[in-house]
Amino acid sequence: MAKKQVPIIEGLFTWPSDRPQLLASKCKKCGAYFFPKVPYCGNPDCAKDKANMEVVPLSNTGTMYTFTIHTAQPALPFRMEPFTPYGVAMVDVAEGMRVLGMTTTTEGLKIGQQVQMTVGKLYEDADNEYITWMWKPVEK
Amino acid sequence: MKAMREVAIVGIGQHPWGQFPEKNMQEMGVECTVDALKDANMSWRDIQSAAYGAYMWIADRGGVPSLLMGTSIARMMGETGIPMVNCVNACASGQAILREAVLAVASGHADTAIAVAADKSAGGFFRPQLRDPSPSKFDRGAENDTDYIRFCMTGETNPAYWAMELRRRMYDVGTTDEVLAMAKHITSQGAVNNPYARYRKVFTIEEIKASKYIADPLRLFEICATSDGAAAVIVTTLDNAKKHNKKPLLVKAITIGTPTFGDPTIRLTFCSAYPRPGVLDLSESRNAINVIYKISGLQPADIDIIELPDNSSWHYLVYLECILGLKAGEADKMLMSGKVHPITGELPVCSGGGVAAQGEAVVAQGLSQVCQLVRQMRGEAGDGQVKKTKLVNGLAQTYGYAGNNAACILSKAW
Ligand SMILES: [Zn+2]
Repeated sequence: MAKKQVPIIEGLFTWPSDRPQLLASKCKKCGAYFFPKVPYCGNPDCAKDKANMEVVPLSNTGTMYTFTIHTAQPALPFRMEPFTPYGVAMVDVAEGMRVLGMTTTTEGLKIGQQVQMTVGKLYEDADNEYITWMWKPVEK
Repeated sequence: MKAMREVAIVGIGQHPWGQFPEKNMQEMGVECTVDALKDANMSWRDIQSAAYGAYMWIADRGGVPSLLMGTSIARMMGETGIPMVNCVNACASGQAILREAVLAVASGHADTAIAVAADKSAGGFFRPQLRDPSPSKFDRGAENDTDYIRFCMTGETNPAYWAMELRRRMYDVGTTDEVLAMAKHITSQGAVNNPYARYRKVFTIEEIKASKYIADPLRLFEICATSDGAAAVIVTTLDNAKKHNKKPLLVKAITIGTPTFGDPTIRLTFCSAYPRPGVLDLSESRNAINVIYKISGLQPADIDIIELPDNSSWHYLVYLECILGLKAGEADKMLMSGKVHPITGELPVCSGGGVAAQGEAVVAQGLSQVCQLVRQMRGEAGDGQVKKTKLVNGLAQTYGYAGNNAACILSKAW
Protein backbone atom coordinates (compact mmCIF):
# COMPACT_ATOMS: atom_id res chain seq x y z
CA MET A 1 0.00 0.00 0.00
CA ALA A 2 1.30 3.43 -0.93
CA LYS A 3 2.35 5.62 1.97
CA LYS A 4 0.42 8.74 2.75
CA GLN A 5 2.03 11.94 1.47
CA VAL A 6 2.17 14.53 4.25
CA PRO A 7 3.44 18.11 3.93
CA ILE A 8 6.37 18.77 6.31
CA ILE A 9 4.34 21.76 7.50
CA GLU A 10 0.62 21.82 6.73
CA GLY A 11 -1.19 24.79 5.30
CA LEU A 12 1.43 26.16 2.91
CA PHE A 13 -0.15 24.69 -0.23
CA THR A 14 -3.44 23.05 -1.22
CA TRP A 15 -3.20 19.38 -0.31
CA PRO A 16 -4.20 16.71 -1.17
CA SER A 17 -4.57 17.90 -4.75
CA ASP A 18 -3.84 16.80 -8.31
CA ARG A 19 -2.80 20.35 -9.04
CA PRO A 20 -1.33 21.78 -5.82
CA GLN A 21 -1.08 25.56 -5.39
CA LEU A 22 0.77 27.69 -2.85
CA LEU A 23 -1.53 29.48 -0.43
CA ALA A 24 -0.88 33.21 -0.14
CA SER A 25 -2.56 36.10 1.62
CA LYS A 26 -3.92 38.88 -0.58
CA CYS A 27 -4.83 42.36 0.64
CA LYS A 28 -8.25 43.35 -0.68
CA LYS A 29 -7.35 47.04 -0.35
CA CYS A 30 -3.99 47.33 -2.12
CA GLY A 31 -3.69 43.97 -3.88
CA ALA A 32 -0.37 42.98 -2.25
CA TYR A 33 0.43 39.28 -1.88
CA PHE A 34 2.34 37.51 0.88
CA PHE A 35 3.58 33.94 1.16
CA PRO A 36 3.33 32.19 3.57
CA LYS A 37 0.03 33.60 4.79
CA VAL A 38 0.13 36.66 7.06
CA PRO A 39 -2.50 38.12 9.38
CA TYR A 40 -1.97 41.74 8.25
CA CYS A 41 -1.05 43.50 5.01
CA GLY A 42 2.63 44.53 5.06
CA ASN A 43 2.01 47.65 3.02
CA PRO A 44 2.84 50.52 5.40
CA ASP A 45 -0.10 52.52 4.03
CA CYS A 46 -2.73 49.81 4.63
CA ALA A 47 -4.83 49.52 7.78
CA LYS A 48 -3.83 46.61 10.02
CA ASP A 49 -7.22 44.98 9.65
CA LYS A 50 -7.41 41.19 9.40
CA ALA A 51 -10.70 41.50 7.53
CA ASN A 52 -8.76 42.99 4.58
CA MET A 53 -6.81 39.77 4.08
CA GLU A 54 -8.01 36.79 2.08
CA VAL A 55 -6.31 33.47 1.43
CA VAL A 56 -5.79 32.85 -2.28
CA PRO A 57 -4.08 30.04 -4.19
CA LEU A 58 -1.19 31.31 -6.35
CA SER A 59 -0.73 30.46 -10.03
CA ASN A 60 1.03 27.14 -10.14
CA THR A 61 3.20 28.13 -13.09
CA GLY A 62 5.93 30.75 -13.16
CA THR A 63 9.19 31.98 -14.64
CA MET A 64 12.60 31.10 -13.24
CA TYR A 65 14.20 34.29 -11.87
CA THR A 66 17.33 32.58 -10.58
CA PHE A 67 18.52 29.33 -8.99
CA THR A 68 21.44 27.55 -7.36
CA ILE A 69 22.52 23.95 -7.15
CA HIS A 70 23.31 23.24 -3.53
CA THR A 71 25.95 20.55 -3.21
CA ALA A 72 26.74 20.79 0.52
CA GLN A 73 24.42 18.98 2.95
CA PRO A 74 22.72 21.24 5.51
CA ALA A 75 22.37 19.99 9.10
CA LEU A 76 19.07 19.25 10.87
CA PRO A 77 16.34 20.40 10.84
CA PHE A 78 16.83 20.10 7.05
CA ARG A 79 16.21 16.46 6.28
CA MET A 80 16.55 14.80 2.87
CA GLU A 81 17.05 11.04 2.63
CA PRO A 82 19.03 9.97 0.75
CA PHE A 83 20.87 13.28 0.39
CA THR A 84 21.63 14.42 -3.14
CA PRO A 85 22.61 17.85 -4.46
CA TYR A 86 19.42 19.83 -5.00
CA GLY A 87 18.24 22.96 -6.73
CA VAL A 88 16.78 26.01 -5.01
CA ALA A 89 15.03 28.64 -7.12
CA MET A 90 13.31 32.00 -7.01
CA VAL A 91 10.29 31.96 -9.31
CA ASP A 92 8.15 34.87 -10.52
CA VAL A 93 4.43 34.06 -10.64
CA ALA A 94 1.62 35.94 -12.40
CA GLU A 95 0.39 37.64 -9.21
CA GLY A 96 3.62 39.64 -9.13
CA MET A 97 5.26 37.62 -6.37
CA ARG A 98 8.71 36.13 -6.29
CA VAL A 99 8.64 32.79 -4.47
CA LEU A 100 11.33 30.48 -3.16
CA GLY A 101 11.28 26.71 -3.63
CA MET A 102 13.31 23.61 -4.40
CA THR A 103 13.47 22.32 -7.95
CA THR A 104 12.58 18.78 -9.00
CA THR A 105 15.86 18.40 -10.88
CA THR A 106 19.37 19.87 -10.99
CA GLU A 107 19.59 19.30 -14.76
CA GLY A 108 18.75 21.84 -17.43
CA LEU A 109 17.82 24.71 -15.12
CA LYS A 110 17.83 28.09 -16.89
CA ILE A 111 16.95 31.65 -15.95
CA GLY A 112 13.78 32.62 -17.80
CA GLN A 113 12.44 29.08 -18.26
CA GLN A 114 8.84 28.18 -17.45
CA VAL A 115 8.30 26.10 -14.32
CA GLN A 116 5.31 24.43 -12.75
CA MET A 117 4.61 23.85 -9.07
CA THR A 118 4.46 20.27 -7.90
CA VAL A 119 5.36 18.38 -4.75
CA GLY A 120 8.32 16.16 -3.94
CA LYS A 121 9.36 13.86 -1.12
CA LEU A 122 12.29 14.77 1.15
CA TYR A 123 12.14 11.80 3.56
CA GLU A 124 9.78 9.10 4.85
CA ASP A 125 9.01 6.97 7.88
CA ALA A 126 7.02 3.73 8.27
CA ASP A 127 3.68 5.43 7.56
CA ASN A 128 4.25 8.63 5.65
CA GLU A 129 6.24 10.35 2.96
CA TYR A 130 7.09 13.94 3.93
CA ILE A 131 6.72 16.37 1.09
CA THR A 132 7.38 19.99 0.19
CA TRP A 133 6.52 22.19 -2.79
CA MET A 134 8.91 22.11 -5.73
CA TRP A 135 9.33 23.86 -9.07
CA LYS A 136 9.51 21.63 -12.13
CA PRO A 137 10.84 22.90 -15.48
CA VAL A 138 8.26 22.44 -18.25
CA GLU A 139 8.91 21.88 -21.95
CA LYS A 140 7.87 24.73 -24.18
CA MET B 1 16.85 66.79 26.13
CA LYS B 2 20.08 68.70 25.58
CA ALA B 3 21.22 69.54 22.07
CA MET B 4 23.15 66.69 20.40
CA ARG B 5 26.88 66.61 21.10
CA GLU B 6 29.73 65.51 18.86
CA VAL B 7 30.89 62.00 19.74
CA ALA B 8 34.24 60.35 19.11
CA ILE B 9 35.78 56.91 19.41
CA VAL B 10 38.36 57.05 22.17
CA GLY B 11 39.21 53.39 22.66
CA ILE B 12 39.04 50.06 20.86
CA GLY B 13 39.70 46.49 21.94
CA GLN B 14 39.56 43.42 19.78
CA HIS B 15 39.94 39.71 20.40
CA PRO B 16 41.38 37.79 17.44
CA TRP B 17 38.88 35.97 15.22
CA GLY B 18 39.07 32.16 15.00
CA GLN B 19 38.03 29.21 17.14
CA PHE B 20 38.62 29.42 20.89
CA PRO B 21 36.98 26.42 22.56
CA GLU B 22 38.86 27.12 25.79
CA LYS B 23 37.07 30.43 26.40
CA ASN B 24 33.45 31.42 26.81
CA MET B 25 31.97 34.50 25.21
CA GLN B 26 31.89 36.48 28.43
CA GLU B 27 35.65 35.98 28.94
CA MET B 28 36.30 37.17 25.40
CA GLY B 29 34.06 40.17 26.05
CA VAL B 30 35.98 41.03 29.22
CA GLU B 31 39.33 40.78 27.43
CA CYS B 32 38.37 43.22 24.72
CA THR B 33 36.66 45.55 27.20
CA VAL B 34 39.87 45.72 29.22
CA ASP B 35 41.86 46.40 26.04
CA ALA B 36 39.47 49.15 24.98
CA LEU B 37 39.66 50.81 28.42
CA LYS B 38 43.45 50.73 28.25
CA ASP B 39 43.38 52.21 24.75
CA ALA B 40 41.05 54.96 26.01
CA ASN B 41 43.15 55.55 29.12
CA MET B 42 40.02 55.00 31.23
CA SER B 43 38.80 52.69 33.95
CA TRP B 44 35.63 50.56 34.06
CA ARG B 45 34.01 53.02 36.46
CA ASP B 46 34.29 55.75 33.79
CA ILE B 47 31.76 53.87 31.64
CA GLN B 48 28.29 55.34 32.18
CA SER B 49 26.23 53.44 29.63
CA ALA B 50 26.71 50.17 27.77
CA ALA B 51 25.23 48.30 24.81
CA TYR B 52 25.88 44.62 24.13
CA GLY B 53 25.44 42.26 21.22
CA ALA B 54 23.05 39.50 22.27
CA TYR B 55 24.26 36.11 21.07
CA MET B 56 21.86 34.57 18.55
CA TRP B 57 22.54 30.81 18.58
CA ILE B 58 21.55 30.03 22.15
CA ALA B 59 19.99 26.75 20.98
CA ASP B 60 23.62 25.59 20.39
CA ARG B 61 25.58 27.22 23.21
CA GLY B 62 25.70 30.04 25.66
CA GLY B 63 22.08 29.91 26.76
CA VAL B 64 20.14 32.80 28.21
CA PRO B 65 23.19 34.42 29.91
CA SER B 66 24.62 34.99 26.43
CA LEU B 67 21.36 36.45 25.19
CA LEU B 68 21.42 38.76 28.22
CA MET B 69 25.07 39.47 27.53
CA GLY B 70 25.37 42.84 29.29
CA THR B 71 24.61 41.78 32.80
CA SER B 72 26.47 38.49 32.40
CA ILE B 73 29.65 40.33 31.34
CA ALA B 74 29.06 42.83 34.16
CA ARG B 75 29.23 39.91 36.63
CA MET B 76 32.87 39.55 35.56
CA MET B 77 33.74 43.22 35.03
CA GLY B 78 32.06 44.17 38.28
CA GLU B 79 28.54 45.51 38.54
CA THR B 80 28.40 49.31 38.57
CA GLY B 81 24.66 49.85 38.09
CA ILE B 82 24.88 51.58 34.71
CA PRO B 83 22.22 51.26 31.98
CA MET B 84 22.83 48.24 29.72
CA VAL B 85 20.93 47.09 26.68
CA ASN B 86 21.23 43.82 24.73
CA CYS B 87 20.59 43.96 21.02
CA VAL B 88 20.09 41.41 18.26
CA ASN B 89 20.14 42.89 14.76
CA ALA B 90 21.71 39.78 13.24
CA CYS B 91 25.14 40.40 11.70
CA ALA B 92 24.50 44.15 11.84
CA SER B 93 24.30 44.09 15.66
CA GLY B 94 27.85 45.38 16.18
CA GLN B 95 27.20 48.73 14.56
CA ALA B 96 23.66 48.82 15.95
CA ILE B 97 25.04 48.76 19.51
CA LEU B 98 27.72 51.29 18.63
CA ARG B 99 24.88 53.56 17.51
CA GLU B 100 23.22 53.08 20.90
CA ALA B 101 26.45 54.06 22.65
CA VAL B 102 26.92 57.07 20.37
CA LEU B 103 23.35 58.25 20.92
CA ALA B 104 23.72 57.89 24.68
CA VAL B 105 26.65 60.30 24.59
CA ALA B 106 25.27 62.59 21.88
CA SER B 107 22.05 63.08 23.83
CA GLY B 108 23.83 63.94 27.05
CA HIS B 109 22.44 60.88 28.79
CA ALA B 110 26.01 59.67 29.41
CA ASP B 111 29.44 61.21 28.87
CA THR B 112 31.16 57.91 28.11
CA ALA B 113 29.61 54.72 26.72
CA ILE B 114 30.79 51.34 25.48
CA ALA B 115 29.59 48.88 22.85
CA VAL B 116 30.71 45.27 23.35
CA ALA B 117 29.95 42.14 21.37
CA ALA B 118 31.29 38.64 21.88
CA ASP B 119 30.26 35.77 19.66
CA LYS B 120 30.93 32.09 19.03
CA SER B 121 29.36 31.36 15.69
CA ALA B 122 32.05 28.93 14.48
CA GLY B 123 30.66 25.65 13.15
CA GLY B 124 28.99 25.46 9.74
CA PHE B 125 25.81 26.85 8.18
CA PHE B 126 23.58 28.95 10.34
CA ARG B 127 20.30 27.14 10.90
CA PRO B 128 16.94 27.66 12.57
CA GLN B 129 16.67 27.43 16.34
CA LEU B 130 13.94 24.79 16.13
CA ARG B 131 15.74 21.55 15.27
CA ASP B 132 12.89 19.04 14.96
CA PRO B 133 12.52 18.05 11.29
CA SER B 134 8.86 16.98 11.74
CA PRO B 135 7.32 19.79 13.79
CA SER B 136 3.80 19.52 12.39
CA LYS B 137 3.16 16.71 14.81
CA PHE B 138 3.80 18.71 17.94
CA ASP B 139 4.69 22.31 17.16
CA ARG B 140 2.21 24.37 15.19
CA GLY B 141 4.40 27.41 15.78
CA ALA B 142 6.66 26.26 12.96
CA GLU B 143 3.98 27.41 10.53
CA ASN B 144 4.87 31.01 11.38
CA ASP B 145 8.65 30.52 11.50
CA THR B 146 9.65 31.48 7.98
CA ASP B 147 13.30 30.81 8.80
CA TYR B 148 12.36 27.22 9.61
CA ILE B 149 10.16 26.92 6.53
CA ARG B 150 12.80 28.23 4.13
CA PHE B 151 15.46 25.97 5.63
CA CYS B 152 13.50 22.71 5.92
CA MET B 153 11.15 23.01 2.97
CA THR B 154 13.27 24.86 0.39
CA GLY B 155 16.77 23.84 1.52
CA GLU B 156 17.81 27.48 1.40
CA THR B 157 20.98 28.02 3.43
CA ASN B 158 22.54 31.48 3.59
CA PRO B 159 25.07 30.64 0.83
CA ALA B 160 22.20 29.30 -1.31
CA TYR B 161 20.59 32.73 -1.19
CA TRP B 162 23.86 34.49 -2.00
CA ALA B 163 24.45 32.05 -4.88
CA MET B 164 21.02 32.74 -6.35
CA GLU B 165 21.57 36.49 -6.27
CA LEU B 166 24.99 35.94 -7.80
CA ARG B 167 23.67 33.77 -10.64
CA ARG B 168 21.18 36.49 -11.51
CA ARG B 169 23.96 39.07 -11.42
CA MET B 170 26.06 36.94 -13.78
CA TYR B 171 23.04 36.78 -16.12
CA ASP B 172 22.29 40.52 -15.87
CA VAL B 173 25.75 42.12 -15.94
CA GLY B 174 28.12 39.29 -16.89
CA THR B 175 30.11 38.86 -13.67
CA THR B 176 32.66 36.09 -14.33
CA ASP B 177 34.28 33.31 -12.29
CA GLU B 178 37.53 35.25 -12.65
CA VAL B 179 36.04 38.30 -10.93
CA LEU B 180 34.61 36.18 -8.09
CA ALA B 181 37.94 34.52 -7.47
CA MET B 182 39.68 37.91 -7.62
CA ALA B 183 37.47 39.31 -4.85
CA LYS B 184 38.77 36.60 -2.51
CA HIS B 185 42.34 36.69 -3.83
CA ILE B 186 42.71 40.44 -3.46
CA THR B 187 41.12 40.74 0.00
CA SER B 188 43.20 37.83 1.30
CA GLN B 189 46.28 39.98 0.69
CA GLY B 190 45.05 42.33 3.41
CA ALA B 191 44.79 39.51 5.94
CA VAL B 192 48.44 38.43 5.89
CA ASN B 193 49.54 41.16 8.32
CA ASN B 194 46.31 41.49 10.29
CA PRO B 195 46.82 39.78 13.68
CA TYR B 196 43.04 39.70 14.24
CA ALA B 197 42.28 37.73 11.05
CA ARG B 198 41.65 34.00 11.16
CA TYR B 199 43.03 33.07 7.72
CA ARG B 200 46.28 34.96 7.31
CA LYS B 201 47.35 33.67 3.91
CA VAL B 202 47.04 34.70 0.30
CA PHE B 203 44.57 32.51 -1.58
CA THR B 204 45.64 32.12 -5.21
CA ILE B 205 43.18 32.44 -8.08
CA GLU B 206 43.93 28.81 -8.98
CA GLU B 207 43.14 27.38 -5.54
CA ILE B 208 40.00 29.49 -5.22
CA LYS B 209 38.74 28.28 -8.60
CA ALA B 210 39.66 24.71 -7.68
CA SER B 211 37.71 24.81 -4.41
CA LYS B 212 34.45 22.88 -4.47
CA TYR B 213 31.05 24.40 -5.08
CA ILE B 214 28.96 24.86 -1.94
CA ALA B 215 26.06 26.44 -3.80
CA ASP B 216 26.84 26.77 -7.51
CA PRO B 217 28.12 29.34 -8.67
CA LEU B 218 29.68 30.07 -5.23
CA ARG B 219 32.71 28.05 -4.19
CA LEU B 220 34.00 27.18 -0.73
CA PHE B 221 36.72 29.85 -0.78
CA GLU B 222 34.30 32.48 -2.04
CA ILE B 223 32.10 32.19 1.06
CA CYS B 224 33.14 33.34 4.53
CA ALA B 225 33.50 30.82 7.32
CA THR B 226 31.89 31.26 10.73
CA SER B 227 34.13 32.25 13.65
CA ASP B 228 34.44 33.18 17.28
CA GLY B 229 35.35 36.80 17.97
CA ALA B 230 34.81 39.76 20.26
CA ALA B 231 35.34 43.51 20.11
CA ALA B 232 34.64 46.62 22.16
CA VAL B 233 34.48 50.31 21.25
CA ILE B 234 34.36 53.21 23.73
CA VAL B 235 32.88 56.56 22.76
CA THR B 236 32.81 59.87 24.57
CA THR B 237 32.31 63.54 23.76
CA LEU B 238 34.79 64.84 21.21
CA ASP B 239 36.24 67.25 23.78
CA ASN B 240 36.73 64.52 26.36
CA ALA B 241 38.13 62.14 23.75
CA LYS B 242 40.91 64.62 22.94
CA LYS B 243 41.99 64.52 26.60
CA HIS B 244 42.20 60.74 26.64
CA ASN B 245 43.56 59.83 23.21
CA LYS B 246 45.84 61.67 20.81
CA LYS B 247 43.93 60.26 17.86
CA PRO B 248 40.19 60.37 18.45
CA LEU B 249 37.89 59.50 15.55
CA LEU B 250 34.75 61.53 15.19
CA VAL B 251 31.64 59.43 14.56
CA LYS B 252 30.44 61.56 11.68
CA ALA B 253 27.36 59.41 11.09
CA ILE B 254 26.05 56.03 12.20
CA THR B 255 22.76 54.40 11.40
CA ILE B 256 20.75 51.20 11.10
CA GLY B 257 19.17 50.29 7.76
CA THR B 258 15.96 48.31 7.33
CA PRO B 259 14.05 47.39 4.15
CA THR B 260 11.50 49.31 2.10
CA PHE B 261 8.15 47.68 1.28
CA GLY B 262 8.27 46.32 -2.26
CA ASP B 263 11.96 45.32 -2.23
CA PRO B 264 12.34 42.54 -4.84
CA THR B 265 14.87 40.63 -2.68
CA ILE B 266 13.66 37.42 -1.02
CA ARG B 267 15.64 38.22 2.10
CA LEU B 268 17.14 35.45 4.20
CA THR B 269 14.60 33.90 6.60
CA PHE B 270 11.73 34.77 4.23
CA CYS B 271 10.07 32.76 1.46
CA SER B 272 8.77 35.41 -0.93
CA ALA B 273 8.99 39.01 -2.09
CA TYR B 274 6.40 41.32 -3.61
CA PRO B 275 8.48 43.59 -5.86
CA ARG B 276 7.08 47.08 -6.44
CA PRO B 277 8.07 49.47 -9.21
CA GLY B 278 10.89 51.82 -8.24
CA VAL B 279 12.06 49.85 -5.19
CA LEU B 280 15.60 48.52 -5.59
CA ASP B 281 17.04 45.31 -4.18
CA LEU B 282 19.01 45.39 -0.90
CA SER B 283 16.92 48.37 0.16
CA GLU B 284 18.00 48.00 3.80
CA SER B 285 21.61 48.51 2.72
CA ARG B 286 20.84 51.40 0.37
CA ASN B 287 18.71 53.04 3.05
CA ALA B 288 21.58 52.88 5.57
CA ILE B 289 24.10 54.30 3.09
CA ASN B 290 21.79 57.13 2.03
CA VAL B 291 21.30 58.13 5.66
CA ILE B 292 25.00 58.24 6.59
CA TYR B 293 25.83 60.35 3.54
CA LYS B 294 22.97 62.68 4.37
CA ILE B 295 23.90 63.04 8.07
CA SER B 296 27.61 63.50 7.35
CA GLY B 297 27.20 65.79 4.36
CA LEU B 298 29.79 63.65 2.59
CA GLN B 299 29.58 61.79 -0.69
CA PRO B 300 31.28 58.69 -2.09
CA ALA B 301 34.22 60.71 -3.48
CA ASP B 302 35.04 61.90 0.07
CA ILE B 303 35.56 58.37 1.42
CA ASP B 304 39.22 57.35 1.79
CA ILE B 305 38.93 53.79 3.10
CA ILE B 306 36.13 51.24 3.24
CA GLU B 307 35.27 48.16 5.28
CA LEU B 308 32.46 46.37 3.46
CA PRO B 309 30.72 43.08 4.34
CA ASP B 310 32.36 40.55 2.00
CA ASN B 311 30.45 37.58 3.42
CA SER B 312 30.87 36.16 -0.10
CA SER B 313 32.40 37.34 -3.35
CA TRP B 314 28.90 38.36 -4.42
CA HIS B 315 28.61 40.63 -1.38
CA TYR B 316 31.94 42.27 -2.17
CA LEU B 317 30.69 43.40 -5.57
CA VAL B 318 27.19 44.52 -4.63
CA TYR B 319 28.33 46.36 -1.50
CA LEU B 320 31.09 48.18 -3.37
CA GLU B 321 28.37 49.37 -5.75
CA CYS B 322 26.00 50.23 -2.89
CA ILE B 323 28.59 52.27 -0.98
CA LEU B 324 30.01 54.12 -3.97
CA GLY B 325 26.70 54.59 -5.78
CA LEU B 326 27.91 52.58 -8.81
CA LYS B 327 25.76 50.92 -11.45
CA ALA B 328 25.38 47.13 -11.32
CA GLY B 329 28.48 45.63 -12.92
CA GLU B 330 30.83 48.56 -12.32
CA ALA B 331 32.34 46.98 -9.20
CA ASP B 332 33.76 44.17 -11.33
CA LYS B 333 35.85 46.62 -13.34
CA MET B 334 36.93 48.55 -10.27
CA LEU B 335 38.03 45.36 -8.55
CA MET B 336 40.02 44.15 -11.55
CA SER B 337 41.71 47.58 -11.91
CA GLY B 338 43.48 47.25 -8.54
CA LYS B 339 42.04 50.57 -7.32
CA VAL B 340 40.45 48.85 -4.33
CA HIS B 341 43.41 46.68 -3.31
CA PRO B 342 43.27 46.36 0.50
CA ILE B 343 46.83 47.63 1.04
CA THR B 344 48.09 49.35 -2.11
CA GLY B 345 44.79 50.64 -3.53
CA GLU B 346 43.99 54.32 -3.95
CA LEU B 347 40.73 53.39 -2.19
CA PRO B 348 41.65 50.55 0.19
CA VAL B 349 38.74 48.12 0.73
CA CYS B 350 38.77 45.48 3.49
CA SER B 351 42.29 46.38 4.55
CA GLY B 352 42.47 43.55 7.10
CA GLY B 353 41.16 40.88 4.74
CA GLY B 354 37.49 41.56 5.40
CA VAL B 355 34.89 39.08 6.57
CA ALA B 356 36.34 36.57 4.10
CA ALA B 357 39.57 36.37 6.12
CA GLN B 358 37.88 36.55 9.50
CA GLY B 359 34.90 34.30 9.19
CA GLU B 360 31.77 35.80 10.54
CA ALA B 361 31.31 36.17 14.30
CA VAL B 362 27.79 37.43 13.89
CA VAL B 363 27.02 40.08 16.46
CA ALA B 364 30.66 41.18 16.81
CA GLN B 365 31.33 41.61 13.09
CA GLY B 366 30.35 45.27 12.84
CA LEU B 367 32.62 46.27 15.73
CA SER B 368 35.52 44.39 14.16
CA GLN B 369 35.11 46.49 11.03
CA VAL B 370 35.09 49.68 13.10
CA CYS B 371 38.23 48.57 14.99
CA GLN B 372 39.98 47.92 11.69
CA LEU B 373 39.05 51.38 10.37
CA VAL B 374 40.27 53.00 13.59
CA ARG B 375 43.64 51.20 13.47
CA GLN B 376 44.18 52.22 9.84
CA MET B 377 43.06 55.82 10.29
CA ARG B 378 45.31 56.22 13.33
CA GLY B 379 48.19 54.65 11.37
CA GLU B 380 48.47 51.83 13.91
CA ALA B 381 47.98 48.80 11.66
CA GLY B 382 51.68 47.91 11.71
CA ASP B 383 52.82 45.76 8.80
CA GLY B 384 49.21 45.73 7.62
CA GLN B 385 49.04 49.53 7.31
CA VAL B 386 47.63 50.71 3.98
CA LYS B 387 50.03 52.62 1.72
CA LYS B 388 47.63 55.51 1.27
CA THR B 389 48.43 58.30 3.73
CA LYS B 390 45.37 60.56 3.41
CA LEU B 391 42.81 58.76 5.55
CA VAL B 392 40.34 61.44 6.62
CA ASN B 393 37.01 59.66 6.21
CA GLY B 394 36.41 55.93 6.61
CA LEU B 395 33.18 54.05 5.97
CA ALA B 396 32.09 50.68 7.35
CA GLN B 397 28.95 48.78 6.41
CA THR B 398 27.71 45.49 7.83
CA TYR B 399 25.28 43.07 6.20
CA GLY B 400 22.82 41.26 8.41
CA TYR B 401 20.26 38.71 7.40
CA ALA B 402 16.48 39.21 7.47
CA GLY B 403 16.92 42.82 6.30
CA ASN B 404 19.23 44.12 9.04
CA ASN B 405 21.95 46.55 8.05
CA ALA B 406 24.13 49.19 9.68
CA ALA B 407 26.73 51.67 8.48
CA CYS B 408 28.92 54.45 9.81
CA ILE B 409 31.41 57.10 8.72
CA LEU B 410 34.36 57.97 10.95
CA SER B 411 36.46 61.10 10.47
CA LYS B 412 39.93 62.02 11.64
CA ALA B 413 39.61 64.48 14.57
CA TRP B 414 43.19 65.52 15.35
ZN1 LIG C 1 -2.66 46.23 1.63
